[in-house]
Amino acid sequence: MQANIAVDVKDIVKTYGTKVAVDGLTFSFYEGQFVGLLGPNGAGKTTTINMLTGLMKPTSGSVLYFSRDFLKNSIEAKSYIGVVPQANNLDRDLTAYENLYQHGLLYKIPKKTVKTKISKLLDFAGLVEYRDKLVKTFSGGTKRRLVIIRALLHEPKILFLDEPTVGLDPQIRRDIWDFIIKINQSHKTTILMTTHYIEEAERLCERVMIINNGKLIADGSPDDLKSTVGAYVLEIYTMERIEELFFDDRQSAVDTLKRCTKPCKVREATLEDVFLKITGRRIDA
Amino acid sequence: MLNGLQAVLYRDINIFMRKAKKQIIASSISPLLYLIAFGWGFGSHVQVGDIAYTSFLIPGLITMASLNQSFGINGEINISRFYFHTFDEYLIAPVSTYEIVLGEVIYGMMRGFLGAFIVFMYALIFNVKINFSLLFIIAIVLHTFMFSSLGVALAMFVRDHASQQSLNTFVITPMIFLCGTFFPIEKLPVIFKAIIHLLPLTYSTSLIRSTLTGTHLYYWHFLMLIVFCAVFFTLAIYSLKKVEV
Ligand SMILES: Nc1ncnc2c1ncn2[C@@H]1O[C@H](COP(=O)(O)OP(=O)(O)O)[C@@H](O)[C@H]1O
Ligand SMILES: [Mg+2]
Repeated sequence: MQANIAVDVKDIVKTYGTKVAVDGLTFSFYEGQFVGLLGPNGAGKTTTINMLTGLMKPTSGSVLYFSRDFLKNSIEAKSYIGVVPQANNLDRDLTAYENLYQHGLLYKIPKKTVKTKISKLLDFAGLVEYRDKLVKTFSGGTKRRLVIIRALLHEPKILFLDEPTVGLDPQIRRDIWDFIIKINQSHKTTILMTTHYIEEAERLCERVMIINNGKLIADGSPDDLKSTVGAYVLEIYTMERIEELFFDDRQSAVDTLKRCTKPCKVREATLEDVFLKITGRRIDA
Repeated sequence: MLNGLQAVLYRDINIFMRKAKKQIIASSISPLLYLIAFGWGFGSHVQVGDIAYTSFLIPGLITMASLNQSFGINGEINISRFYFHTFDEYLIAPVSTYEIVLGEVIYGMMRGFLGAFIVFMYALIFNVKINFSLLFIIAIVLHTFMFSSLGVALAMFVRDHASQQSLNTFVITPMIFLCGTFFPIEKLPVIFKAIIHLLPLTYSTSLIRSTLTGTHLYYWHFLMLIVFCAVFFTLAIYSLKKVEV
């Protein structure tokens, strides 16, 4: 059985004055999918999320959720999408519980059930001890978890995560990754996550859309995308630069390595290689 | 029912309560200074028409204090909108613009009532006679509704701290000094009077003063306030709709 198309975006454009931030994006994905939007800073990821969630009107183009126009049914559609914005927009002067309770009010969660839902989520995120503490005392990772469970409180069908681990320590980043995977699996939530971390997209997403200068430049599963350049890379360290040779299988890479006279090493290809090949520059450069 | 409105008030009131003591003390200072300087210092032998200057001044201070409080939500909204982005939560939530604006306006009105209450306390302490009436309540409700709505509307247009400062310097402060808050406008030159009659504060000051001191009440001023309320509230809704999808 074919799953429903959850999100259908047609040719959305956003211009700020003369600057074209999002330049005609078209994509759609199914219910239950975990999709990544990967691109360097300034590629237009946040602008895209803002248009999909009602923070900004697209200059042109359309957004459909479950075949219904978002702009025409925005109140209804907003009730089944959840958003984790790039900045932790919690109320610093409220406690974790109060932030969640306010969200419950905004999404019309019945007062009888909201308390148990909050407790369950605090437990799920390992934040029980922070329940009654003011948000301004929290660390970055704790705030991030709270923002994420806030977006889950109304049990959204589609969850938008805008750079969920930006600015976090590597260890905490890994924790958040595990947490996000847990959400996708246990809640079967459809997820669109933006990121500029290669590893994050590769680890978490079943499908990755690569975006640069507001345009979609590649789209597919991480493995498919990597196979377009070659799954294995032989890096040869010459005096001036690192030369890279691509191979479809490990064996041919290793065979070439054996004949190599300069220092060299075989590694698996990454989405960085895909990006580099298409655009001629690195994602985090 | 009206979940969005409840959510806005839940947040605003909780946060206000946390810093209520500081807020109340801070808002008590300036009316007291005005009372000492203008009431005692210079007004003790002055009459305005039939009434003592202090009795004239107290309603003016009530108007000023409640205006400052109600309009002051503009700064709070600005910080939460542009600095902490908490306002975005409202914009992406499945609630109508009306509820958000109404929630903020009601919060602004509550702060306005608090400002008025503080001056009332001073009136009691300084033994200044004023009458409390239903018409006064209507006047202060309209007055605070009007300036809270204006506060919300401008919070959506005014982006940064500097423009907010100039808003206070060029609009709010001149209005407070010119619209009959501290002295009767009858004595001003005609041109000034004409300008002053375009400003909303002129009408709320007149009504609040007449209802409290029992001087002549111009009922059409109520009409003017209602018109200003409608205009500012519509402007607030419009300004929010412009950002929201
Ligand atoms: N409010 C704005 N006004 C003008 N330009 C903007 C604004 N917001 C973003 N931009 C520009 O639009 C482009 C895309 O930004 P953004 O969507 O934030 O990218 P990303 O999230 O991928 O880093 C960038 O070049 C950025 O400078
Ligand atoms: Mg971004």
